[in-house]
Amino acid sequence: MKNRKKLLAALLAGAMTLSMGATAFAAEAEDGYAVKATNTEATSPDNDLVIAIEGSVSSMDPANIPDTNAISATRGCYEMLVYFDENQEMQGQLAETWEVSDDSLTYTFHLREGVKFHDGTDFNAEAVKANYERVIDPENNLRQRRNFIETADDGTETPRVESVECPDDYTVIFKLTKAWSPFINRLTQFCIISPAALEEYGNDIMNHPVGTGPFICTEWEEGDHTSFEKNEDYWGEPASVDTVTIREVPEAGSRTAMLQTGEADMVYPMPADQIQAIEGNDDINVMTADSNIMRYVTLNMNLEPLSDVRVRQAMNYAIDKEAYIQVMYAGNGTIASSVVPHIIPGYKEQEAYTYDLDKAKELMEEAGYADGFSLTLWGDNSTQEIKGMTFIQQQLAQINIEVEVLPMEPATVSDKIYVEPEEAEVNMWYVNWSASDFTMDGSLRSLLYSTMAPPTSANTAYFNNEEFDSLLDEGLATADPDKQAEIYGQAQTIAWEECPWLFLASDQLLYSTKSYLSGAYVAPDGAISFANAVLAQ
Amino acid sequence: MGRYFIKRLLSTIPLLLVISFLVFMFIHMIPGDPAKLIAGQDSTQAEVETVRKQLGLDQPLLKQYGQYMKGLVTGDLGDSIRNGKSVVETIAPRLKPTIMLTVSAMIWATIIGVALGIISAVFHGRILDYVGMIIAISGISVPSFWLGLELIQGFSVALNWLPTGGLDSWQSYILPSLTMGAGIMAILARFTRSSMLETMREDYVRTARAKGLKESLVVMRHAFKNSLIEIITVAGLQIGGLLSGSVMAETVFSIPGLGRLLVDSINFRDYKVVQALLLFFAAEYIFINLIVDVLYGVINPKVRYD
Repeated sequence: MKNRKKLLAALLAGAMTLSMGATAFAAEAEDGYAVKATNTEATSPDNDLVIAIEGSVSSMDPANIPDTNAISATRGCYEMLVYFDENQEMQGQLAETWEVSDDSLTYTFHLREGVKFHDGTDFNAEAVKANYERVIDPENNLRQRRNFIETADDGTETPRVESVECPDDYTVIFKLTKAWSPFINRLTQFCIISPAALEEYGNDIMNHPVGTGPFICTEWEEGDHTSFEKNEDYWGEPASVDTVTIREVPEAGSRTAMLQTGEADMVYPMPADQIQAIEGNDDINVMTADSNIMRYVTLNMNLEPLSDVRVRQAMNYAIDKEAYIQVMYAGNGTIASSVVPHIIPGYKEQEAYTYDLDKAKELMEEAGYADGFSLTLWGDNSTQEIKGMTFIQQQLAQINIEVEVLPMEPATVSDKIYVEPEEAEVNMWYVNWSASDFTMDGSLRSLLYSTMAPPTSANTAYFNNEEFDSLLDEGLATADPDKQAEIYGQAQTIAWEECPWLFLASDQLLYSTKSYLSGAYVAPDGAISFANAVLAQ
Repeated sequence: MGRYFIKRLLSTIPLLLVISFLVFMFIHMIPGDPAKLIAGQDSTQAEVETVRKQLGLDQPLLKQYGQYMKGLVTGDLGDSIRNGKSVVETIAPRLKPTIMLTVSAMIWATIIGVALGIISAVFHGRILDYVGMIIAISGISVPSFWLGLELIQGFSVALNWLPTGGLDSWQSYILPSLTMGAGIMAILARFTRSSMLETMREDYVRTARAKGLKESLVVMRHAFKNSLIEIITVAGLQIGGLLSGSVMAETVFSIPGLGRLLVDSINFRDYKVVQALLLFFAAEYIFINLIVDVLYGVINPKVRYD
């Protein structure tokens, strides 16, 4: 009887949670937490880490990664020469130290000695070279190849690396054909696979991962789970947890339930509307992480009203960015204060377009559009994206701009965007961008460089500014961080003042953990780092 | 009957050919470009073209179809565009969860659904009839997504009796099969009831009663047996549906089945996987229909196959 009552209560509670839906839930706890667990003494019933993720780990070949989940999983068993640590600072991993020549053309890496692959073979300079050769070979058809190749408009390819030399077992020298500052950042995605295993399995290596990492991959069942066990012979501090399982749980409500029942120790992502579902659980943390996601709306500057910078600025003034973050991310986000998110190295804060309807109307009148005009707004057809577009529609209506929201299936949007300039129909595009290599060039070139207009790439603002272009080119040619900061600072100011976009926000990533889990976190690109995870016993 | 069976099997070949052609053309006609998806958001057009060439997507559509058919005949369905695994390798592991769930959902849904239908028909217009139909209508009107989440809230979170998802133990089959079977149970209950009500008005039922046969015998042997054909037809269609995977249940309960694979593959424009899946589903429907037709003859010897 008691149980039946409990069941009824549970069903009712469940019904209420679901029917209440998404209400804004302001972050009240300290930095980095949306909700902080009160029970900090909780201990884990086992030493097996279970992480529930939304999407699918669709590859375990680190040179052929289609999505962020595959990055999370491959980083369990593979390592790179250099990597970004928790504070987004570059550190050596398989390379102990490295230096870059003054002309930014030669990169010399001094490798860690005594590192062994999971198959017992030695990690050394030849292994790095073998991996580079595998990636660059067009026969292998690996996604990572693009990191090391420059493709011209007519399709001809030039390698970015002139030579890879191994003067001794633990030194590797990359010589570039021309200076290209994102090179070192791209190496943070270049995982080193055992050459012996590559020899044995070829491109079937995705089913037999052999790296140097703190975990050994024991099972990869796409669509279900990926499992790891601790690498006892790891060169560094061995992992604290015995096993790690990444489970693919597409439904947010189910992920939350797994955290509540203890079936999962960490879930990512955690939609803001799930936060209230865990109220009453005192051992669950909801954490926030700054992301490299930039949310914006491109304004086609070839169109009559949008070609006037006053109109574009007016539109930026007409949008209440704070309300946007509340509506879209329950307050978990940062107002855009430049054309790139603030965590991208080289970011420079710009003067805000603070929500100001009077100023917006004034600018519209000055430009001769006091009565407004109509525009279409394209975007993906997910609930969240439609919500964002509707918000923009309401905001712009305040300055008499009538916006027609046209949500489309993602592949369809892409088809309509990447057309020849004379066929372009795009007015505004509600979209987002994350530069996976965390470089300024990666954040700006595809979106704002003049020759990157569709169909070449994603400059749907059709932004064309010579000074901006030449600054980006200068930035590429130097690996000196101070010079880069100056150059990219100027580039950001130009783009900010020209307003090719409606600058919106960078959302924060939300994930949640049992309070007894520490050391695991979500990086700004959405990849989960679990190498240092500890389950309190 | 053997000859009939073989004839029917052979007749599916042209049907499948037509289906394969339609599926191929429709998939390639919907907007979206896998080459762009693979090359990535920040790729240039030249890079996209290179990928397209590698995938063979730059060839004329009819030529691509020819290559696809050639592969189909030789048993080589090609590789998934998403991660380079072969199509067979991609689909095979997804079959087991889908089949297991179909079987477990069908078993309980059929038993309960048919029983409810019979009871409602026998007690037509009385309280048991209403109760039965309320259960049936609820089963059909409750969205399976909502039902699944509620079951998890109740049985996993609050009571901690059953796992929230996955298919690691027999217990983990319970909630998804309840979710998937609810609608089918309802449909079967309603069909059984209406069909039973009809047959129970037939002359031979009245005759059976007049002979003084026990009511249970009248219901089961005379009325129910004659309603079976309709019930089997409906059940067959439902099995076909379930075997194509249930996206909702698979999503809520994190089950790697065919339904999710289809949706993921469509989103990625993974043409070869989508083609193989749709052709497989079509073949499955045709085959189940054939089985149902054969069963007609088993149930009612008056049905002749020529």
